[in-house]
Amino acid sequence: MTPRPFTVGGYVLSIATWLSLWFGVAVVAVVVGGRLWAWDTRLQMENVLGLRLEWVATASVVGAALALAGLAFQALLRNPLAEPYILGVSGGAALAFILSSLFLSVTLAPVFGFVGALATVAIVYAIAQRRGRLEPYTLLLTGVIINAFYGASIMLVTALVRPEQRGDIAVWMMGNIGAFGPQWGLVKVAGGLAAGAAILFALLAKGFNLVAVGEDTAGALGVPVERLRIVTFVVASLVTGASVALVGPIGFVGLICPHLLRMILGPDHRRLVPAAFFFGATFLVLADLLACLWEGASDRALPVGVLTAMCGVPFFIYLLRMRWRRSAEIR
Amino acid sequence: MRCRVLHLVAGLLPVFLLAGCDKGAPPAAPDARPLRILSLTPNITEILFAMGLGDKVVGRSTYCNYPPEAAALPAVGDTMQVGLEKIIRLEPTVAFMVTRRDDVPKRLEGLGIRTVKLQSDRMDQALESIRTIGRETGRPEAAQALIDRIEADLAAVRRRVAGLPRPKVLFAFPMTVGSSRIMVAGRGTFVDELLTTAGAENAYPEKADWPTVGPQQVIAMAPDVVIINATGEDAPPDRVEAIRRAWQSLTSVPAVARGRVHILTETFLTIPGPRVGQAARLLAETIHPELHAEAGKVSMGWHGHAPLRGQELPSYRAPGHAPARGHATRQSDFALSSREGGRS
Repeated sequence: MTPRPFTVGGYVLSIATWLSLWFGVAVVAVVVGGRLWAWDTRLQMENVLGLRLEWVATASVVGAALALAGLAFQALLRNPLAEPYILGVSGGAALAFILSSLFLSVTLAPVFGFVGALATVAIVYAIAQRRGRLEPYTLLLTGVIINAFYGASIMLVTALVRPEQRGDIAVWMMGNIGAFGPQWGLVKVAGGLAAGAAILFALLAKGFNLVAVGEDTAGALGVPVERLRIVTFVVASLVTGASVALVGPIGFVGLICPHLLRMILGPDHRRLVPAAFFFGATFLVLADLLACLWEGASDRALPVGVLTAMCGVPFFIYLLRMRWRRSAEIR
Repeated sequence: MRCRVLHLVAGLLPVFLLAGCDKGAPPAAPDARPLRILSLTPNITEILFAMGLGDKVVGRSTYCNYPPEAAALPAVGDTMQVGLEKIIRLEPTVAFMVTRRDDVPKRLEGLGIRTVKLQSDRMDQALESIRTIGRETGRPEAAQALIDRIEADLAAVRRRVAGLPRPKVLFAFPMTVGSSRIMVAGRGTFVDELLTTAGAENAYPEKADWPTVGPQQVIAMAPDVVIINATGEDAPPDRVEAIRRAWQSLTSVPAVARGRVHILTETFLTIPGPRVGQAARLLAETIHPELHAEAGKVSMGWHGHAPLRGQELPSYRAPGHAPARGHATRQSDFALSSREGGRS
C-alpha cells in the first residue's frame, strides 16, 4: 500500500465511504434478518422491522465501541494482542452485571456492569502504575491477571446458584445481540459514548502515531505520553463497559477489526480511528446477521460472541506466529 | 384395602416395602427397618406430604420448599449434586427422585438405600409416580386417593371449560437478561396438558420439551393469550413491570393488542404434583375471564378438604398485592379492556 498524502477532502471521503459501507450492510441485515417479505400483515412487519432496527443498532454500537477500544489499547500499549476482552475490562463488567442480576436488581444490572468496568480500570491502574507512570507490559499483564480472577469469580458464582440460573449465566456470557424487550435507552447511551470516544480518539490520533514510533520520541516531540495513556485507557474501558452492559462479553472484535484495517490502510491512526468505528459496526452487524440466519435455518440460537471468538482465536494465533517470524511488533 | 388391613394388624411392626416398582426394577425385599424417606425432587416431596407421609420424610432436596413443613427438613443437595455424608447421617431407607441419570441412584443404592427413579414429564407419568410411591411405601390406598383427587380436580376444570372457545395460548417463562429468547411450553409437556385441560390450545405448534423462541417466532405464532410464569427473582413488582413492558412492544400479537398478556407469579404451575388441579383451575380462569363471573357460585372448598391452598401462602404473592376477588392469584394483566381493568 503506497502511503497517500493525508488531506481533509480525503478524510471526509473515506468517512463517507465507510459510512455507506456500514449503512448498506445494516439495511441488508434489517431486511434479510427480519425476513421482512414473509409477514402477513403490515403490523407484523412493523413489529419485526422495529426489532431488527434495534438489534442492528445494538450490533453497530457494540462493534464500533469494541473495535475502537481494541485499536486504542493496541496503540497505547504498543502491543498487538491487547484487547478489552483480554484486559479484564469485559470481565469486570460481566462479573458486576451477573452479581447485580442475581442478588440486587435485574433492571439495574447494566448500570452495575458499567460500574464494574470502571472499577476494573481503577484496580488495574492502581496495580500497574508506579509513581504515576504506566508501564505497558505491566498494565497488560495486570489486566490478564485481573481477568483470570474475574473468570474464577464468575465460575464460583455459577457453581453456587440454582441450575436454571446457571444456564442463564452461561448464555449471557456467550454474548448475544438483542433482548426480548426493547432497550433503546441503553443503546442510545452506549452509542453516544462510542461516538464521543471516536471523536476523542480522532483528535488524539497524531499522538497515537508518535507513541507507536517510540515513547521517547513522542515525549521529545511534545506528546504528553502519560496523560494520553490514562485518558485513552479510561475512555476505552468506558465504551467497553457500556457494550458489555448491553450485550454481554463479546470477544475478539477489538482484536480482529483493528488488525484487518492495519493490513489494508497501514499504520496511520488518523485513518484507522474512523475506519475502526465504522468497520467494527459493519463487522458485528454482519456477524449478527450470520447468527440470525443460522437461527432462522436451524431454529437454534447461535450467540454472536461464540461466532466472533471462533473467528478471533485463529486470527490471534496467526498474529502471534507472524510476530515471531518477523521478530518485530506488528503495528 | 389389603395393605391397610396388614398395617392395622401389624400395629407397631415395621412397615414392609411391598414388591414391585418401575418397569423392570427388582422386587424390593421386605425391609425390617422403619420407613425413612429421602425425597430429591420438589413434586415428589409434595406428593409424599399429600399422601400423609410427611412425618416419614427425613430429608429433601435444596429446592423442596412446599409444603412449609418440608422446608424445615434438612436439605441434601439435588439430583445432580448430593451431599452423601448428609444423606448417610439421615439414614434413609428409601429415596425417591425424578431423574434420567444413573450415577446418583447407583451411589445411593451402594449405600444400602433403596432408590426409586421416577418420571414426571407428562401427567400420566406423574400419576404413575404417585402409584409407584404408594407401592414402595406400602400406602397404595393413599396413593389411589390422591390420584382420584387429582383426576377429580382436573375433571372439574374440564367441565367448567366445556363448550367454551379454545384460544391459542402461549405459556412462557420471562425473558432472561441479555437473551432475545424465552422458554415456552412445547406440545407434549405436562404444562401443555394443563393448557388443554384449561380449555386452550397450545400456541406453540410442535411437539417439543420446553423450546426457546425469539420475538419473531412469537409474532409468527400470534397467540390469543400469553401466560408468563414469573417466579423467584422474576416475581418482584419491578421485574413484573419490566416483563410487561417487554411484551408491550409486540403490538401485532393478538394477546398484546387485546391486553391478554397475563403474568402469574405462582410457583406451582409447573410442578407436576398434588396441586395440578389448582394449576389447571388458575390457568382456566386466566384464559377464560368469563369464568370469573361464575366463580362466586362455585364452592370455594372445591378440593373437598383443602380450601384454596394458594390463599394460605402469602409468600407466593409479592407483598402489597391482595388476591383479586378471592382468586388464588395475582395477575398482572396489562388489560385495558373494561372487564380486566376493574380487577388489577
